[in-house]
Amino acid sequence: MRNISLLFRSVVKSLILVSVLSMAAVSAHAQDAKEGKTLFQQKCTSCHAIDKVVVGPALKDVSKRHEEEWLIKWIRNSQAMVAAGDEQAVALFEGHNNLVMTAFPDLSDDQIKNILTFIDESSQAPAGGGTEQGAPGAAAADSGNVSNFMLFGLLAVIVIAFVVIIVLNRVIKTLERIILNKNIVIEEEDEEEGEGKNYFETIKKLAKNKKLVFFFVLGLVAFLGSAGWKTLWNVGVHEGYKPVQPIKFSHQLHAGVNQIECQYCHSGAFKSKNASIPSANVCMNCHKYVTASEKYNGETSPEIQKIYNALDWDGQKYGPNQRPIQWVRIHNLPDFAYFNHSQHVVVAGVECQKCHGPIETMDEVYQYSPLTMKWCVNCHRETEVNHKDNAYYDQLIAAHEKLKEGDKITAASLGGLECGKCHY
Amino acid sequence: MDSNKKYWKGLEELEQTPAFVKNSKSEFAESLPIENVLTEAGLSTKTPRRDFLKALGFGLGAVSLAACQSTPVHKSIPYLIKPEEVTPGIANYYASSYNGQSILVKTREGRPILIEPNPKSIGINRGTDAGTQASVLDLYDMSKLKGPKAKGSDIDWETADAQIISALNAANSSGKQIRLVASSINSPSSLAVIAGFIAKYPTAKLVEVDAVSYAGIIKANQASFGKAAIPHYRFDKADVIVSVGADFLGTWLAGEEHTQQYADNRGYKSLENKKMSRHVQFETGLSMTGANADARVAVKPSEEGAVLISLYNAVTGASLAGGLSTNDKAQKVIGLAAKELVNARGRALVVTGSNDVAMQALTNAINAALGSYGSTIDLDNVSYQYKGNDTDFTAFLNDASAGQVDVAFFLNVNPVYDYFDTEKVKAALGKIKLKVSFADREDETAELVDLITPNHNYLESWGDSSVRDGYYTIVQPTINPVFNTRQAEQSLLIWSGNTVAYHDFVKDNWEKNILAGTAKTWKDVLQAGFEYKGDKPAQAYTFTGDVNAAATSIVNTNKALAKDVEVQLYQSVAIRDGKQGNNAYLHELPDPVSKVTWDNYVAIAPKFAESLGLGENSLVKVTGENGYTIELPVLLQPGQAQGTASIAVGYGRTKAGKAGNEVGKNAYPFAKLVNGTLQFSSTAKLEKVSGIYELAQTQTHHTIEGRNVIRETSFKDYLHDPAHGSGNHGEKHKTYDLWNKFESPGHKWVMAIDLNACTGCGACIVACNVENNVPVVGRDEVRRRREMHWLRIDRYYSFEHDGEQVTEEKELARLSKEDANLDNVSVVFQPMLCQHCDHAPCETVCPVLATVHSSEGLNHMAYNRCFGTRYCANNCPYKVRRFNWFNYWNDSRFDNYLNNEFTQLVLNPDVTSRSRGVMEKCSMCIQRIQAGKLKAKIEKRKLKDGDVNVACAAACSANAIIFGDLNDPNSEVSKALKNERVYYVLEEINVQPNIGYMTKVRNTFGA
Repeated sequence: MRNISLLFRSVVKSLILVSVLSMAAVSAHAQDAKEGKTLFQQKCTSCHAIDKVVVGPALKDVSKRHEEEWLIKWIRNSQAMVAAGDEQAVALFEGHNNLVMTAFPDLSDDQIKNILTFIDESSQAPAGGGTEQGAPGAAAADSGNVSNFMLFGLLAVIVIAFVVIIVLNRVIKTLERIILNKNIVIEEEDEEEGEGKNYFETIKKLAKNKKLVFFFVLGLVAFLGSAGWKTLWNVGVHEGYKPVQPIKFSHQLHAGVNQIECQYCHSGAFKSKNASIPSANVCMNCHKYVTASEKYNGETSPEIQKIYNALDWDGQKYGPNQRPIQWVRIHNLPDFAYFNHSQHVVVAGVECQKCHGPIETMDEVYQYSPLTMKWCVNCHRETEVNHKDNAYYDQLIAAHEKLKEGDKITAASLGGLECGKCHY
Repeated sequence: MDSNKKYWKGLEELEQTPAFVKNSKSEFAESLPIENVLTEAGLSTKTPRRDFLKALGFGLGAVSLAACQSTPVHKSIPYLIKPEEVTPGIANYYASSYNGQSILVKTREGRPILIEPNPKSIGINRGTDAGTQASVLDLYDMSKLKGPKAKGSDIDWETADAQIISALNAANSSGKQIRLVASSINSPSSLAVIAGFIAKYPTAKLVEVDAVSYAGIIKANQASFGKAAIPHYRFDKADVIVSVGADFLGTWLAGEEHTQQYADNRGYKSLENKKMSRHVQFETGLSMTGANADARVAVKPSEEGAVLISLYNAVTGASLAGGLSTNDKAQKVIGLAAKELVNARGRALVVTGSNDVAMQALTNAINAALGSYGSTIDLDNVSYQYKGNDTDFTAFLNDASAGQVDVAFFLNVNPVYDYFDTEKVKAALGKIKLKVSFADREDETAELVDLITPNHNYLESWGDSSVRDGYYTIVQPTINPVFNTRQAEQSLLIWSGNTVAYHDFVKDNWEKNILAGTAKTWKDVLQAGFEYKGDKPAQAYTFTGDVNAAATSIVNTNKALAKDVEVQLYQSVAIRDGKQGNNAYLHELPDPVSKVTWDNYVAIAPKFAESLGLGENSLVKVTGENGYTIELPVLLQPGQAQGTASIAVGYGRTKAGKAGNEVGKNAYPFAKLVNGTLQFSSTAKLEKVSGIYELAQTQTHHTIEGRNVIRETSFKDYLHDPAHGSGNHGEKHKTYDLWNKFESPGHKWVMAIDLNACTGCGACIVACNVENNVPVVGRDEVRRRREMHWLRIDRYYSFEHDGEQVTEEKELARLSKEDANLDNVSVVFQPMLCQHCDHAPCETVCPVLATVHSSEGLNHMAYNRCFGTRYCANNCPYKVRRFNWFNYWNDSRFDNYLNNEFTQLVLNPDVTSRSRGVMEKCSMCIQRIQAGKLKAKIEKRKLKDGDVNVACAAACSANAIIFGDLNDPNSEVSKALKNERVYYVLEEINVQPNIGYMTKVRNTFGA
């Protein structure tokens, strides 16, 4: 036992050490740049790239061209500087066809510094790939994180399995020793017949123990029964369903990092029964400019290119050879169940995440909720009706108060469990 | 006091035929194999253990295999560039018009799925007719052409255009005629296009012809008042209405408009003001209008003219020869009616259905004598609905046969099918060098032409119409053209060398002409859907025609008719002239009176049939004057004039499409041309042929076991006591409830149905079909009593003796035939749908709780829960639950309806398409209730009366169905249900239905 605990301790120690080290390394290296990257993607990419002219100039080595203090002022409000007659500013403004750069009065000095750090880092990336190297590098680091996690997981599993084997071996040894002490004759016979025979005989002997067999069978039946029960109940339940989509659209990037409101794209959720997948022209509101080319050697990101291909976009206008994007539907309700998004989102004020889960962290969307009737009904039982300031409910609430004074007014108590609520 | 009048649904019930008795007692329409199982052999059958195990093993294996099916991957394909006005899941409504009725077209994701009346339209329509409701299905008709065709092979538009333009130029330069044959065109823009076309090719001329012609009225008005037009009839201003053979509530001129006007004088609001019109009908077959009349007299077609002469004599005191000398009852009623008419001078109206100029002229003389012009007849705001001119068309046929016509276009006409002299049309077509049809399918005429340049469906078109003076409606497209078709007007513009798009043409025409002088813009019109310039004051007119000549002409025509069996050709309320001949909704809509679907038939009075040796379902050979013969099944029709037969036109299409081909027989060839107008009364020989043919009737599918479901009274009694006949007097049964009282604290959805306003037209049935994805089942399934209609209109007959209502005290079964005067029957229509009983018998017997009650008083039906025991249908006292025997929308045996992905686009996505093995019934349009509630919730306001309306009530022109919230004391329905006439069907069994009916009131003579 001492051995085991020692081993365990050492493993844990090394684990902690490794994780702390890697955390430290990452944080030491990228604390500023990471936030800067996020901000850069949010605020700058619609007009700037690191080493490509988009709308505004390429930003590679921008801190070598200008003072940091000057840059901070410029980024916060370039037009004020031009108006004030700052020489550098006027030259820059006029040198770029008098294109006005959006002012960012909300950005703090630290945030701007972070952005500049990110730009510097991207600029320093080895030549050839230019800054783009940074992106795949980062991607690799990202995937490294994932594989590290998996690696540690695997290691842990192996270690635990190893521990289990050792413990079992010791138990067997102990048992053998006991048998040896108590029954030398059998031991001798066993020794004659060899290891295999011994093992077989043990099972045979155990099988003669009716109690043991009974409990074993009982256990097996219970296990199979519960497994079967669970399987059958989950037929047609596709919790966690995560199909491969035609475009690797990341909610984590759009809703999480870039903080785009859900209803910007899924406007139907607030008006209609369908939340609706946005049409490609909604994507183009941003992706006319945002091409993520800084990550792909100045080429448009292959995923964004798919939108262009679907719309036959040539950089100026939509062409005639449009091909619709065939998304794979994740949340499938059967035809006989009527569900209306606007009822839940607008009237009841339910958050999207309540049913769709932490969508802003999902790189690929999966079905978070079971979407079973039980799940619907349970929520209707528990959820209080959002009747405040809604004149529609006045009469119902008054009637309800009369009948069941003080009770919680849940969806269920206003007919939310009746068949016709969803089935017609 | 209840009325103890006995009602019966059909002759089977009246005569208690063995088959009827058997069916009425059996639980299910089809026999269940219970006997086979319960016989000794059945019970003693032993399943050997091995067989049982085999079956068990196979069953388990099959079930597991079936369960292994992987979940299908659903694709979700959004718009690439979403149109701004489209939000998936939200319906858009566009104002448009159909046959001049201002409508709203409901579209979902760019596809039209429902037609509703335009609630803002002024003065012309409250509801829509069945044909308008069903027209949305025509858009998704698989039988339509997918592009232009030349002699059966596909061509492109450029080739077709080049060919047509060169033919036009050749004809024009050689002075040969160019003819555009069309059904009545009342679209100002179309007429402008045609004028431009004629300007470009001066030898061209427009020939308007209607399958069912009203040229007689136009000619008569020309002769009587010097005004060649059809007047605007005002039934709302008439206190006494006499109709001679005019089915004015159904198929005669503007049936829907007349219904609205008529019902306004007879519905519950009018009755509350102690006002009700009196309606007398003289007619041959029992029409829907006749069924609604207060007094109805069966007359032969040959007597109709004589009725008019007698009526003229009685009204004016003249003594024209040729008055009615036979038919005592008719003579008596004419005397009574004339007195009433004269008393109601200025509030009286006489209409005649015939297309005979002399009869219409005499009608004009009577109306002029009654001072109807300027009050009940408006000749200053004339109708443009039917402008067909039979003489023009005859001239065209003669010119074409003589080789004078080089190019002919056919727009919305099908003369090879619907002109009586098909051979003449075919011969004429053969002489025309280039024949072009605008038909949307290869119909009977289009099959014989050189080029078909298919027209858009109206839901894909721009356009307008003006059905009467000063009233203009717009037609706007609600879907992109589905196939490679082109609007006829656009084609004509191109062939006239005009490159303007037709949309611009219409817009320009409106801005320059119709909207000139108003502040309205084109956009305003697109939003409103119509432009109403107000009526000019109606003038009184002096009759200047020749009454004597008319009477002489009538006498001569009658003489010609008085031989063999007199045949009356009529349009059925559903199929009408046959233009919508491929519409499955309309074929399955039961005829209001006979309740026959999917066929036409020879309607004969029972006594007359007996004398001919004919019975129900016999086949009879009908030979017309011109030798044309068809074989049709016989329908015994109470109320039909003796010695006559009525046959519906519009059936027997051969090239309509999958649904309409070979349904019934074509009766148009029995029509004839007399004195220059088409006549639909004729004579024929009837001959019994062997064989029987079962008509698919819905009327006997349910039995009411002689229970008191209809309650009626007379207007006189009503005036004394508004609750008369409703059973709302005296002591009620003491009732005991097994269940607790059902509380509906929020809303309580109820309905009031006014039996006095309902005309039985069936528009509500089709509206329900379209809104709720109710499947069409086809003729065979209707025969097996498997029609799916959630809403049916029950038609009950009762007896009448010589204008007096009689009470038959004996039970129906004991009614002897002598008592039963089947020539004089009165009719009541009763819309019957799920009554949403608070103590519903269906709910208590469902073993799986698939049908349960809601807190809003609705009887819910969860299809996915139902597994089809049909207990609920058996336990329903109203017999309104319908069982799905098949997947009608996806089964090759029902190929005439939804069995293709294109037609399935008509389905309402908010309503489940039911699978087989599932019970269904009226849901009170719960999807509309939920949508209305949601809208109020989102807008944070109370639900107002009228926010939610059900499809049937919305479609009803007569305002016979009123729907709403009983808990809202100000709603129309809660006010209507306070009416003294309200009773609940089978209230004695205390199922507490939520649909109240108002008694039928008859304004009979002597009452």
